[in-house]
Amino acid sequence: MSDTLHKKSFFRKYLFSTDHKVIGMQYTITGLFMAAVGGFLAYVFRYNLAYPGDHIPLFGELGAQQYNSFVTCHGMIMVFWVAMPILLAGFGNFLIPTMIGTDDMAFPILNMMSFWIFLLSTIVLLASFFVPGGAFGGGWTMYPPLSAGGYTNPNPDFFKAFFSGASLMILAVALEFVAMLMGGINFLVTTINKRTKGMTPFRIPLVVWFINIATIIFMFSVGPLVAGAVMLLFDITVGTGFYDPARGGDPVLFQHLFWFFGHPEVYVLLLPAVGAIGEILSVFSRKPLFAYKTIIYLALLSAILSVVVWAHHQFVAGIDPRMATFFSVGTIIISIPFAGIFLSYMATLWGGSIRFTVPMMWALGFIGTFLVGGLTGLFLGSNAFDIYAHDTYFVVAHFHYTLFPVVFFGFFAAFYFWFPKFVGKNLNPALGKIHFWCTTVFFNGTFFLLFFNGLGGQHRRINDFSLFSNVVKEPYITFEKIATISAICLILSQFIFLYNFVTSAVRGKKAVKNPWDANTIEWVADSPPPHGNFNPYPEVFRGPYDYSLPGEESDFIPQNVPHTNENIPVLKVKLSVS
Amino acid sequence: MEMVLQNPVREQKAVSDGIIGMIFLLATEAMFFAGLISAYIVNRAGIPVWPPVGQPRLPIEVTAVNTAILIASAVAIFLFRKNIIANFNKGNKSLKLLVTTILLGGTFLAIQGTEWVRLIGYGLTTTSSLYGSFFYVIIGVHAVHVVAGLAILFYLFKAIKNSATLEIAKNKITVCSMYWYFVVGIWPILYMLVYLM
Ligand SMILES: [Cu+2]
Repeated sequence: MSDTLHKKSFFRKYLFSTDHKVIGMQYTITGLFMAAVGGFLAYVFRYNLAYPGDHIPLFGELGAQQYNSFVTCHGMIMVFWVAMPILLAGFGNFLIPTMIGTDDMAFPILNMMSFWIFLLSTIVLLASFFVPGGAFGGGWTMYPPLSAGGYTNPNPDFFKAFFSGASLMILAVALEFVAMLMGGINFLVTTINKRTKGMTPFRIPLVVWFINIATIIFMFSVGPLVAGAVMLLFDITVGTGFYDPARGGDPVLFQHLFWFFGHPEVYVLLLPAVGAIGEILSVFSRKPLFAYKTIIYLALLSAILSVVVWAHHQFVAGIDPRMATFFSVGTIIISIPFAGIFLSYMATLWGGSIRFTVPMMWALGFIGTFLVGGLTGLFLGSNAFDIYAHDTYFVVAHFHYTLFPVVFFGFFAAFYFWFPKFVGKNLNPALGKIHFWCTTVFFNGTFFLLFFNGLGGQHRRINDFSLFSNVVKEPYITFEKIATISAICLILSQFIFLYNFVTSAVRGKKAVKNPWDANTIEWVADSPPPHGNFNPYPEVFRGPYDYSLPGEESDFIPQNVPHTNENIPVLKVKLSVS
Repeated sequence: MEMVLQNPVREQKAVSDGIIGMIFLLATEAMFFAGLISAYIVNRAGIPVWPPVGQPRLPIEVTAVNTAILIASAVAIFLFRKNIIANFNKGNKSLKLLVTTILLGGTFLAIQGTEWVRLIGYGLTTTSSLYGSFFYVIIGVHAVHVVAGLAILFYLFKAIKNSATLEIAKNKITVCSMYWYFVVGIWPILYMLVYLM
């Protein structure tokens, strides 16, 4: 249908498209490609950790400097080139216009440029692997003086210094931020100004709220990091000494600027995923999302708190102990709004008639795994324990238990849920379930035992433990091997997903408009939605979670269904009771 | 057969897309400058002698005049917007006010440039001291914003020439002048912190 409406060349339609769905797909595919790159890096260095010095299949031998580059780039890629494009840009582009009932973003050309700048950042990052000295290997936090070459050369040759791993990394991240900023401005303006008739603020689905809150956190916190990165780039390429203590500079200053962004970034990634999980839990529990408004207020509260806890990453860097206490308390307080959100999700499940579909399994898996990450975060938030666990595998296991569920369980839940809508084909549910169980088992296999390695004092930045046989003993060596074998299986399991994705997209059964009996208005559009999404535009009459209302025949009432005279009093009675 | 998509039924927009977008962009920019300024203040607090021994003093008086020039450009763009909304007419005297704004902005840049050349002559460079590093980075970042602002104003000039009615150009005039107000508004803060403090 869209073809007859808008005849466009292949280039305008798929490559230089300004349609939000195509841009969302471009972001998601690029993100998945980078996930494969990041996963391959993880495979190489995990293999090296379990079997130090061995020849690595499909790669060869890994040197110590290369090990550092690979770990650094794995972290960078997974956060900035996988999580950000998929969760923020991907979800935002697909979901915001369709869920608020509009045709496209407020600034479609800006949106297209956002993707192309993002792609450029990806190319710059990948190119940094091939410059002399290899990709940057000083840790994803880029702390000076290490990232500035230790200030050994006060008069660097500009071009040589510019085309180094460290400065290309900064450049790539800066371009990525520009892309996300352009996307973010679009998300906020679109949500504020382009909602369909009747879509009042508290009728907007939770996930759209959460993407917008994440965007605001991102835009608020990114400026100081860019300022810090500009100064670091000058230190590297021009030879200034902003972070060089010998010249009066302050290296801890960079840590402050970095973590002022770095901590809120966690919430930038978390919120879109948690929002999508909320939608899915409500649909498959056949119950209204418990305390929808309270969840939004809690998310806003956590957004405010998220920018005042950053120094908990610097307990070991020598900050004032009185400050450390302040940041410790703040860090533990920030778990309260999230505990509230998770309790609301539990209450949503409570007494629901749960449908164990593939997206629902991912949503429940998210809650289970994220819980482990959240609870171990409470340990680390206390500065007394953190000083002991600092830079050990306990920290590695902790943040993988938060980020992996957020990025991958969050993405897969959303993928299996919205695929029929945006691709217009049904996925194979049996393969989806196998994919879920393999991923869950091997994810836990990879990271659970590493908590014990960390508690046993194993340091995270050592490429060859055989050199430290007096401190690294059994069972920790076996645990490393189990982790590596699980990680390889985890990566291999993703081929099930890839197979399901490709075969379903090519020859899957045509999807109906509303396969899950859901209420939000993207399900009113055709599957896949044509250019312009809706014809005619739906008018919204109710909130997004009218499931199993008492006195109603159907257990779901989409947002575009008007209230009848009979069901208004019923609703009022229900509200006054609860 | 040509099908026409039905127009979206939307709630009334209180504020235009462009203005909201510009507000968010400027908020992000403000945080960027806040990061630079706080880095500067934190560093300065730790250094007892500022500016360091042997480094030249910054040209306070010339820059005070230059500050006045930049503020005058903001006054010019304010009058321009007021005039053009009252009486939209291509090539009338309101467009001259926009040209004045651009010229004043350009003068500001030119004076800054000559001062930079003199300072480098006196031995203040990016690597001569932390004092010099902060000076060139903070003031340089502002100068980049002035250049971007001038490009935006030039675009606005072209856009007004090409618009037949006020309705087409009105939103652009507001959005572009917001950016210029930001560029001008942040300057006195930087002048106070970097030159006077
Ligand atoms: Cu943190």
